Amino acid sequence: MNLIKSILSIALIVGFTIAFVSCNEDDDLLPVVATTINDLNADYAPYESPLPTNRPPLRIGATNKFTLFSFKTGAIVPNADSTSSNWDIGFRSTTIIVNSGTSGPGTTTAQILNGTLTNIIEAPFDGYKSDNTAGTTPAERNAIPSGSGNGWYTYTGATNLVAPIAGKVIVVKTAENRYAKLEILSYYQGAPASPSPEPTGADKDRYYTFRYVYQPNDTRIF
Amino acid sequence: MLIFAPVKIVTSSISCLALLTLSMVCFAQENPMEADTLATRQLEALIVTATRNERTLGALPMPVSLISKNQIRTMGSVRLNDILTEQTGLVVVPQVNAQGNGIQIQGFNPDYTLILIDGEPIIGRYTGSLELSRIAVGNIKQIEIVKGPSSSLYGSDALAGVINIITDRPQGTRGNAAIRYGTNNTLDINGDIGFIKKKLGFYVYGNRYHTDGYDLSPQNFGNTVSPFTNYTLNSKITYKFNPLTDLSVAGRFFNEDQVFRFEVESNGIRTRTSGNGNTRDWNFNPVLTHRFSDKLKAIARFYSTRYKTETYLNLETDGSRYYEDDFRQSFTRPELNAEYYFNEKNILTLGGGYINEQVQTSRYGDEEKRSQETSYGFFQHEWLPLEKLSIIAGGRYDYNTIYGGQFSPKLSSRFELTKKVTFKVSGGVGFKAPDFRQLYFNFNNSAAGGYSVLGTEVAIDRLAELDAAGQIQAYLFDPAQLGNLQAERSVSINAGATVEILPLLKMDLNVFHNSINNLIETQAVAITTSGQSIYSYRNILRAYTQGLESNFSYPVARHLNLSLGYQLLYAKDKDVAEDVKAGEVYWRDPNTLVTKRLKPNEYFGLYNRSRHMGNVKLFYSHQPSGWEGSLRVIYRGKYGIGDIRGNIQGEVIPPSDTNSNSILDVYDDFVPGYALVNLSITKTIKHSLRFQLGVDNLFDYTEPVLIPNLPGRLYYASVSYSFSKKNVQP
Repeated sequence: MNLIKSILSIALIVGFTIAFVSCNEDDDLLPVVATTINDLNADYAPYESPLPTNRPPLRIGATNKFTLFSFKTGAIVPNADSTSSNWDIGFRSTTIIVNSGTSGPGTTTAQILNGTLTNIIEAPFDGYKSDNTAGTTPAERNAIPSGSGNGWYTYTGATNLVAPIAGKVIVVKTAENRYAKLEILSYYQGAPASPSPEPTGADKDRYYTFRYVYQPNDTRIF
Repeated sequence: MLIFAPVKIVTSSISCLALLTLSMVCFAQENPMEADTLATRQLEALIVTATRNERTLGALPMPVSLISKNQIRTMGSVRLNDILTEQTGLVVVPQVNAQGNGIQIQGFNPDYTLILIDGEPIIGRYTGSLELSRIAVGNIKQIEIVKGPSSSLYGSDALAGVINIITDRPQGTRGNAAIRYGTNNTLDINGDIGFIKKKLGFYVYGNRYHTDGYDLSPQNFGNTVSPFTNYTLNSKITYKFNPLTDLSVAGRFFNEDQVFRFEVESNGIRTRTSGNGNTRDWNFNPVLTHRFSDKLKAIARFYSTRYKTETYLNLETDGSRYYEDDFRQSFTRPELNAEYYFNEKNILTLGGGYINEQVQTSRYGDEEKRSQETSYGFFQHEWLPLEKLSIIAGGRYDYNTIYGGQFSPKLSSRFELTKKVTFKVSGGVGFKAPDFRQLYFNFNNSAAGGYSVLGTEVAIDRLAELDAAGQIQAYLFDPAQLGNLQAERSVSINAGATVEILPLLKMDLNVFHNSINNLIETQAVAITTSGQSIYSYRNILRAYTQGLESNFSYPVARHLNLSLGYQLLYAKDKDVAEDVKAGEVYWRDPNTLVTKRLKPNEYFGLYNRSRHMGNVKLFYSHQPSGWEGSLRVIYRGKYGIGDIRGNIQGEVIPPSDTNSNSILDVYDDFVPGYALVNLSITKTIKHSLRFQLGVDNLFDYTEPVLIPNLPGRLYYASVSYSFSKKNVQP
């Protein structure tokens, strides 16, 4: 195990040096920056009015479509392009998909690590999953599992609150073998400090605020 | 005047002399050992809970405390929760929706303390903990509190400890009548009368209690605590067949009616409802004691009790039924035990019994009777190898039809280093059987964020039904792994010392550690097609509680006694503590959205546990003039609260965790610490007529949303009359 680790670290250092040297030589090193996306709408829909008393309320006008995002462009990809490999990651309600397997035609894969955006400085070599794993539970199905406590958030029935778990970083390997790391900061519009979600409160859910770092160069270090 | 044994007697020279004479008389008549015992018994309070036999408080090797009738009367308390909340290390914590309060000992939830009346368990834990206000205190002789696991004698539920309420017995001809009126139109009327005629003794106690309740959030419809009225009737008949054989037959009846008016909220719509709740319990408890010889004493006990509660709410708009709930429980237990006195250094206690428990409730989806049976046997050996060393070893084996066998050993030891310094250490195992709810619950909440909870005995079948009906969207957990719920177990150690620093200045110190495994927690199992979660139960959590408790007592002046109590507590989830230590837990500042790693000392621990709590009490008693008074300050340090559904008045209770890691850390919001000040003053005329004035929570401290079980300032006044005619017991 230790031997493998040592070999890996040596390989890393060598790889990094080569990358660094080659970049220096070619002088085409693209900048690595941390970007915050505010209030990405992941299929927000208002609750029906008046609210029913004998069943969970419906949400009116939900499109049931994912909001797609590309790390390379740093922008939302129109849903019409969902069958292309132009997007990396998609958001709908609390479900996050990657463009691979059962979710899309691409080869984007991802995994969740414990840490922060600043202390994860290197994307793992392996461990990435695509959205095509067969399984009975959501935890087994998606690269980024849905369900309270399974992946990136916890859900509390009492307060109807979705809270992104602190210290969960999603690391994405794109179709072009580039890496991105992403931390979800809020699920509510305006990222309020103590959200009070609809329908009892005023805060609109399904609005993602997240911070990410994309490494456009051919290295796992960011 | 009522006759009772004072706990801490500052013996006057006259009574000392009397005792001396008494023991000398006995000396002449009987053997010296017994004379000595008799003298000791006159001086020191006797505790029955720790060993199941009468032992002097100071001689016990485990942490034991006692609340005497005198203290209860001086404090002016009328319900059990009022008294317990003032004891060091005991916290009366509100239950979900503020319906019922339970007692927390050594950081354990209320479900983990066994509460007994005269050695027999009180039932009716229909939401887990017992409603302590069901117990009137007017007929309590003393309350014995044994901390640390006591499953070795009492079986299930005795992990944190045992609270045993010892009620009055017939003792000569006497009677008492009392009336107390206070804030919130709270009226307590009680009376008792007892006599002994030759071989027959009789005692009866009656109580009526009414309160209008209180409302901490007047802006909302309905009360925080709704008005209720209850009646308690207790009786005890004793019969001495001959000097060697005694029979005691005790009975209790309790009825409570509560009138509810609530605004219920479903998906943001508030609807007014009103209804009634009725709670009833009764018990029957004959105990036959026979001394076969000087060495062998045997006791046959039978106990049967029933508990019933029914609640309904109707919509005020059209009178239609909004909510209905009923719960019926029974508990029947015959038990035999015997005490064998080999010699002054060896005493053996053996016992065995059988328990039948039944529950019938609408909450299990049907009105079917569910029952479980337990057979058990226990032993205990008290050994005094040296004059200064005593050792008690015991154990109990329970066999239950559902959770199987449980063995709970316990070993305690006491060592008298000098006359002023005594050490005590005790270690043992406690367990709590899965309750009926965890086994048979079949509950569905259909509102927004609705959910179902299924007991482990019904979950597999019910899930299969839902699946067959196409209502399961996804499984979150393999249902095949449900079932076979194990008993929750704790391994505990208590170690302490009693030190007499100055004459009459005593300090008690106890350090405790409880390691609890197999804790039962809800497990999300599946999601229905309509998006509701289905939960069941699993043995998943591990926790520990540890800390220290210390008590000082000192007569600062003549007739004035000062006591101080303090508890330090660390109660943590073991898995979370390990994760934090491994650096795998983070917190995100909700304002800056910056995430940081949590350091091990930043994990505060379990919800609803205060790191610090304490009390300062001054008791004044001047017998010649009949004046008594008390000033008590009770402090509870800051603590966190978990995810609780809104309170009874529909207000959302904000959870303490505000930084997205689902645990309580030092950066979270806490319920602030608070101190309550209680005062009472009493004047007794001619040993029989007694007037009392008092105020609880003098500075009117309230926290309407976070601490619903804390009413504001309460004034009260009471008057009582008692008489007694001493007659010698046959």
